[in-house]
Amino acid sequence: MKNEKEEDNLFMVYPFLSLKGGRIMNKVMSNKWMITIYILPALLLVGILIFIPIILTAYYGLMEWNGIGAMKFIGLENYIQAVQDKKFWDSAYHSFLLAIFSTLSLVVYLAVSMILASKIKGADLLRKIYLIPMLLSSVAIAQLWIKVFNPTNGILNQFLMFLGVEKPPIWLANPDIVLYAIFIPILWQYAGFYILIYYAALKNIPNSLIEAAKIDGATPFQIAYKIKLPLIMGVVKVTIVLAIVGSLKYFDLIYVMTNGGPNGASEVMASYMYKLAFSTNDFGYGSAIGFLLLIITLVVTIIIRRLTASDEEVQY
Amino acid sequence: MNKKAVTLFLALALMLLAMVGCSGAEESNSASGEKTIEFMHLWPEGSSAKHNKIVSDIVADFESQNEGVTVDVEVLSNEQYKNKIKVLATSDELPDVGMTWAAGYLKPYVEGNKFAPLDDVLEGELAGSFVSGTTEPYAVDGSTYGLPLELNIANIFYNKAIFEKYGLEAPETYEELKNVVKTLKENDVAPIALGNKDRWTGSMWYMYFADRIGGAEVLTEAISGGGSFEDPSLIKAAEKVQELVDMGAFIRGFNGISDQEAKSMFMNEQAAMYLIATWDLPNYTTNEEVPQEFRDSVGYFKFPTVNGKGDKNSYVGGPGVGMFVAENSDVKAEAKEFVSFFIKEWGEKSVKDAGVIPATKVDTESMELPQMYVNVLNDLNNASNLTLYADVQMSSDAAQVHLNQIQALFGGEVTPEQFTEAHEEALSK
Amino acid sequence: MNRLGYIILYLCLGAVAVFQILPIVWLFLFSLKSNQQIFAGAPFALPKEWEWENYLKVWEGGIGTYFFNSVWITAVAIIFTALFASMATYAITRMQWKLNKLVLGLFMVGLMIPIHSAIIPLFSMFLNVNLIDNPWSIVITYTGYNLPITMMILLGFYYTLPREIEEAAIIDGCSIHRMFFRIILPMTTPVLSTIVIINMIYNWNEFVFVNTFISSDKYKTLTVGIQNFIGQYMTDWGAIGATLIISLLPILIAFIFFSNKVVEGISSSAVKG
Repeated sequence: MKNEKEEDNLFMVYPFLSLKGGRIMNKVMSNKWMITIYILPALLLVGILIFIPIILTAYYGLMEWNGIGAMKFIGLENYIQAVQDKKFWDSAYHSFLLAIFSTLSLVVYLAVSMILASKIKGADLLRKIYLIPMLLSSVAIAQLWIKVFNPTNGILNQFLMFLGVEKPPIWLANPDIVLYAIFIPILWQYAGFYILIYYAALKNIPNSLIEAAKIDGATPFQIAYKIKLPLIMGVVKVTIVLAIVGSLKYFDLIYVMTNGGPNGASEVMASYMYKLAFSTNDFGYGSAIGFLLLIITLVVTIIIRRLTASDEEVQY
Repeated sequence: MNKKAVTLFLALALMLLAMVGCSGAEESNSASGEKTIEFMHLWPEGSSAKHNKIVSDIVADFESQNEGVTVDVEVLSNEQYKNKIKVLATSDELPDVGMTWAAGYLKPYVEGNKFAPLDDVLEGELAGSFVSGTTEPYAVDGSTYGLPLELNIANIFYNKAIFEKYGLEAPETYEELKNVVKTLKENDVAPIALGNKDRWTGSMWYMYFADRIGGAEVLTEAISGGGSFEDPSLIKAAEKVQELVDMGAFIRGFNGISDQEAKSMFMNEQAAMYLIATWDLPNYTTNEEVPQEFRDSVGYFKFPTVNGKGDKNSYVGGPGVGMFVAENSDVKAEAKEFVSFFIKEWGEKSVKDAGVIPATKVDTESMELPQMYVNVLNDLNNASNLTLYADVQMSSDAAQVHLNQIQALFGGEVTPEQFTEAHEEALSK
Repeated sequence: MNRLGYIILYLCLGAVAVFQILPIVWLFLFSLKSNQQIFAGAPFALPKEWEWENYLKVWEGGIGTYFFNSVWITAVAIIFTALFASMATYAITRMQWKLNKLVLGLFMVGLMIPIHSAIIPLFSMFLNVNLIDNPWSIVITYTGYNLPITMMILLGFYYTLPREIEEAAIIDGCSIHRMFFRIILPMTTPVLSTIVIINMIYNWNEFVFVNTFISSDKYKTLTVGIQNFIGQYMTDWGAIGATLIISLLPILIAFIFFSNKVVEGISSSAVKG
């Protein structure tokens, strides 16, 4: 949208520019050597470090293997077992819940970023403060929130009791609420990450567009919704994918905070896989779960991308 | 600019190549007859300073007595240690000497031919030095693959000051325990600290009930397949657990609290009782970082009898970590020698300096030990039975079911019948 | 907006800020407390006795080496990631070739691998090329594993770069490299700073790979150092807190520096429409 408009302007000034430039450009930009040089380092690293392990994971999934002794080929048995495994589907359900929460929370992050980017006083300081939790490692964050959630000594329940709640919830021990409780630190942890990305994107929007809208009498809300949002839609879509992929393979915070408990109430796909492979000595089955996790994530991502793809742009 | 960019890129590519190529040259130590024993343990200086120091001292002594042998030590904390061993095992890269746990943990490594049998060491140099019954959990098909360093039994530790304040006495029977709980509840004191996020903690409560109600063998038999987990006494034991939970005997939210947090509540006088194994003794005796006043106010009692049944000298407990030698080690003879040396040195030093109750026989008469140690050592001598922790006895699959079921049982999510059924199903697999 | 609106807005923003910053305060307080105080006392109570020994204990535990390793490994991996990711994103979004969508798809799949299923294959691969217990295995792994997410973030920005600038440059006889290094990279400064921050945080806090691939003390990083304070039967929380604070400081400083770069980059890039 924006590009079209600018192109119009350029055509008026230099009528031949685009035509001539375009031709040379096409030639330069389709030089096979250059493409290879530019893409190869990244492709090699990802190919060797990520794709070989993916293939090996799928392969181990075909084995009965405790990770220690000899491997035995058992075909698709692990995968069939996984499909029938109630615990796996429970954990997948929990992972999906997290993915939905995370995606919804993007709205909040986006709103905050818009406010911060709209040149209010103190925005710079606030932005930095918001991002601080992101600097901590997941293990540190988990330790911190375990303490916050402690049923008798935690600040959360002490605060609730101060407000007169007689029996505040036992956050991490109640199977009905543990997953929601865990989402609070996740929300807290990732605020900085998404605000950072949205902020950079919003700052990238040409000021002239916003000024023009202001002159036309648009309200801040209209500017945000009608001008800013469409312009950073590409970035928003990327963050949706990141939030979903990140949630579906989410692991460390949950592992430290609840270890998937109580009795599996906060088990997610990645923690289930980890337990099978590393604690239960069921490395073959764990690998099958790991590979299924990847496939499920892939399918969900493709569906999301289809759903969010607008008509005119079939970019990336 | 063009040239610059190409040069930069080539330089990066070269660097990548260089790091792959060069690194091979570094490791060529065994050429000169020097022998290196790789040794991994799980007592980092930061958290287990005393253990760490003893290990370092023993290693230094060993090196000075064995010219031409160096011991390469790698230290990881518990969880990381377990992970790394697992990864190393898949590539057959285990250290020459390392730490292992008994029974269920050890078995796959033995079956996968990763650990070397240590019978020659056990029957040779170390003959007769272990407390009887401590090496058996490390044996598979008649051979012993690990040599234990510690021996622990679980007792209920209690805060004497709190008990005194409410006129309570250490309970002898389950009825008395319930009365203690009742009195404490009435006075708004949390009776029992339990961190059941870790699950083995709750398992110990269940195991003791099973032992007292059904006798020493019933649980072990059920696990080994000789008996059934649906034995009435095992159901009864589960009922007792839920009875305590329903009374509010345990701290609030215990299923979401780690053992470490529960311990802290006990140690900060927020709870009156705490069931834990004797590895915790230093906290109640010698640990200078714990206030003297608190240490003086801690006592322990044996798990009470239930309805007049049960032998109080039957304990839940067993050996802790033990040492293994890797089967594929290229310095196996030296590694075994090191293990033997280590075990001999460990016993006395560990009691004296780290407050460990070693699995080897130690002459404690000549040592000055806190009274609590003397009592525990006496208890051990008079023990009629030692039941190894259930999750250690079981295969790792069944152990996961057991641990999850423990959480469900304590959380009231399953009935005692469902609890035993789930076990029977997992164990019969 | 009226005055009341602003007050409410600032109250909300302030509340969020408090919510976000409290843990750091808590962390600092607990780094100065003994184990007993941490578990029993109120979280925001001042330490009864200020246990500066916690810091001393950590520093004496040889954290200096870990610290140095963390810095250089993080820095080198960021440089590689930023460079390779920018180059690949450039090739995918600006150059014309048939397979670009497919290759992009491959990078996106790379985002989806659960780390724990990669550890064992990676370990045996590094073992085969003799890179186990070699810090370069960590640098390479960080670079590779951060490439997909870095590229995803870059992607949105590269698509919005105006094409006319490149056209004008090419008419002036500019080569691709010159265009990339002299025009494109400077134009993407804001997003480069963003990805530097994100990569920095990931690399600095990562520990599964270091723990698995490195065994010599001299190559370990700070996060592994922290783990050394978590023991079998006890946990020295004060020392963990001190380690966390020590490990948080450099990244906090670097973060503030790069965070300012984001703003500077935006205001100084003249190419904005």
